[in-house]
Amino acid sequence: MLATVVTKTFLDRWKGVAIGTVALALVFFLGMAVYRDIDLAVYTDLPEALRALINIPADADVGALAYGAIYSSYGALTLASLALSMGSASIAGEERKGTMGLLLGNPKSRTHILASKAVNIVLLSALGAVILWFAGIVVPDILNVDVTGIEVGALVFHMFVVAVFYGFLAMAIGAWTGKTSLASGATVGVMVISFFAVGLLPLVDSLKSGVKAFPWYYYSGSDPHLNGFDWGHLSVLIVGIGLLAAAAVVGVNRRDLRGQTTRVSLVDRLRGYPMTERIVDRLAGSTRVSRVWVKTASENQGILIVVAYVMFLMMGLLIGPMYTFIDETLVKLTDSFPEELLAMFGGGDMSTPEGFYQIETFGLMVPIAFMVVTVTIGARALAGEEANRTMGLLLANPIKRSTVVLQKTLAMIIQAAIVAVALFAGVVGGSMLGRLGMNPLNIAAATLLGTLIGLVFGALALALSAATGRTRVAIYGAVGAALGLYVANGFLPFSEGLDGLAKLSPFHYYLSSDPLLNGMNWGHGAVLLGLFIGLVVAAVMLFDRRDLRQTG
Amino acid sequence: MTEQIAIHTEGLTKHYGNFPALVDLNLAVQVGEIFGFLGPNGAGKTTMIRTILDEIRPTSGRASILGMDTHSQSVEIRDHIGYVPGDLAMYPNLTGKDTLTYFANLRGGVDWDFVGSLAERLDADLTKKVGDLSSGNRQKVGLIQAFMNKPDVLIMDEPSSGLDPLVQREFQTMMREVASDGRTVFLSSHTLSEVQRVADRVGVIRHGQLIAVEGVADLRSKAIRTVNLFFDETVDGAALENLPGVREVKVDNHHVTLSFDGQMETLLKVVTQRYSLLDITTHEANLEEIFLTYYEDAGA
Repeated sequence: MLATVVTKTFLDRWKGVAIGTVALALVFFLGMAVYRDIDLAVYTDLPEALRALINIPADADVGALAYGAIYSSYGALTLASLALSMGSASIAGEERKGTMGLLLGNPKSRTHILASKAVNIVLLSALGAVILWFAGIVVPDILNVDVTGIEVGALVFHMFVVAVFYGFLAMAIGAWTGKTSLASGATVGVMVISFFAVGLLPLVDSLKSGVKAFPWYYYSGSDPHLNGFDWGHLSVLIVGIGLLAAAAVVGVNRRDLRGQTTRVSLVDRLRGYPMTERIVDRLAGSTRVSRVWVKTASENQGILIVVAYVMFLMMGLLIGPMYTFIDETLVKLTDSFPEELLAMFGGGDMSTPEGFYQIETFGLMVPIAFMVVTVTIGARALAGEEANRTMGLLLANPIKRSTVVLQKTLAMIIQAAIVAVALFAGVVGGSMLGRLGMNPLNIAAATLLGTLIGLVFGALALALSAATGRTRVAIYGAVGAALGLYVANGFLPFSEGLDGLAKLSPFHYYLSSDPLLNGMNWGHGAVLLGLFIGLVVAAVMLFDRRDLRQTG
Repeated sequence: MTEQIAIHTEGLTKHYGNFPALVDLNLAVQVGEIFGFLGPNGAGKTTMIRTILDEIRPTSGRASILGMDTHSQSVEIRDHIGYVPGDLAMYPNLTGKDTLTYFANLRGGVDWDFVGSLAERLDADLTKKVGDLSSGNRQKVGLIQAFMNKPDVLIMDEPSSGLDPLVQREFQTMMREVASDGRTVFLSSHTLSEVQRVADRVGVIRHGQLIAVEGVADLRSKAIRTVNLFFDETVDGAALENLPGVREVKVDNHHVTLSFDGQMETLLKVVTQRYSLLDITTHEANLEEIFLTYYEDAGA
């Protein structure tokens, strides 16, 4: 009865799941290969507090490291992200596309449709989990690494359950509101906040017990890769899944379905009031459409606002005061930190505020934040307009294709600059709040390099989008390249003989000069700028020479 | 000479992989005419339009608009054209007014009084977001953006889809005004009645090949007539099919419909010899019927 809807959704989605999990398996392979070849003393000599932070047990061996530091966090984040994108698309997505009415034109109830979508979230998460489980078993075998004592099955099952949980959360929000972006945005928010809360809260004694409020705790809190199944924790998640499913059923049945309509934003409302009409009309109306770049820069505002807000407040402002709260023991352990290890997190000396900021904010979160914005705009700029069938109309006007590419690039730079300003203000503010006395010029330097690394991968997405006209290729390509190059930059320096290769990764030119301590490295900045310009030029040339796609 | 030709294609060919979407298309659309481009779905109409707009590049052959090469001078050309794509899509979050402002800005300005008059004539609501409009109302915004800069050549792909009959009529008037202004309209369509009403000439395309180009008046003067014959008994259609000038015989019991361009006397003689004819009506075939006749002949 449900088979048709289930099958269609499955066929629509399985590739994304397969690509995501196989990519992750490759990262796992690379990570384990590097761990195998390095002296593990650098890890086993670590102080306990730090090991806890990065999820490494006292008697760490290659297996525990690879599963604990790579597989459990990135694997679960990947699987959960795939599930929540399915969840938010399930009901709200069909409404936005205008296909919900068509679907319900058939003799199937709303609950049936919802159930078939829910089955898909479970099935596809299971597919992803099976791929991850398979890789988790096979990779150590290929690499000849002894992983006795690692509970791969339990780890992957925990991953699967937490992924379904976030998928159902997104589905429930979508079922209640019919808004895809709200469903995915809120769920990503809950996921990221709980991921960091579970990582950071235990560092502060008085907040330790607070982690139990976050769903992620019931996934990773019991270290399933070492301790096996924790049915107590799992049952918390499973009960949560049941409640969310019930909530989704109630939500989808109680409200009017949305037609294929547009959002009514605050700006639209202001445009309707006589008092604000003129000024808002000018800003949101005539100004917004004055140029291609202005219009493009005004798009994806939701993502931009969330990213800028997170970088300002959570990754900027709050990290400063947090530094002063952190367990003294952690700070005193400076000397025992092996440099090579910290390089993996973007390098940084935990005992200094600069080092703390580098590890917490700049190492991983800053590139991700910039890339969320730049890759989105880069991928959608050209391929998005083709997919929406507006590119033909746009290019019927007397503007060159190269102008379109360059104006879209300008919009990307503007959005990246907005994130940069928020990040800079947040970190400077955090430094002041915590009385850390960091040099604002150095903060500016690190921010500038972060902006440039974001722009490099944004331009890569733009070039892929220009070459293929396919948004997915652009996003997966840019994110995949970034992930691979990030990991390469983090791990290759450990391996003798291959350490020189790290310089081939753009990430080498981002933090290896310790800009928060040493200020701007103009040479590194120039390399990134050159890469960015080169990719934009490639985008211009590639877009100019091909047929526009006709989709729809 | 070239100044008199609005759209010119020479051996224009476009393959998608191995599939020939457009084959050796030679066409000359005169300045000041309304040219109807007819063909069923998937015949290559849209491919032809996308090629001359430089959205896609020909596999071989070339095309020019107002004497300018469609690839090397595409940007200059776009100063002179208005375009309504088939299956029109616009930016859902912009209002009609915003959309028109956007395209007007890309063109360096537009006469807003004229835009206002177009909106009034088509009864278009420009204050709503495009995404909230019904497809017909969205189409109106698309038409306005194509007409608003008073282009020398209007290229429209199935432009009247979704429009109600009253608006369609106004739209046809607007096209005639463009032509009487000495400007050109290139109108792709699969509805003949529309083309019949406005076009000066039609080109018929099928399987990527241009089958015929004729004046609408010439087509009509082919004198194909539709003949309805009513008998008091059931008739054998096959007997009529072999008569000179008879095509497309349809038999429905006592009633026979056929297309006919031969001598009426011959037809009547044969028919009355064999059967008892009760009634006969005859009228000039519309383009639809002529068109179907063409297709039968050029059948794949």
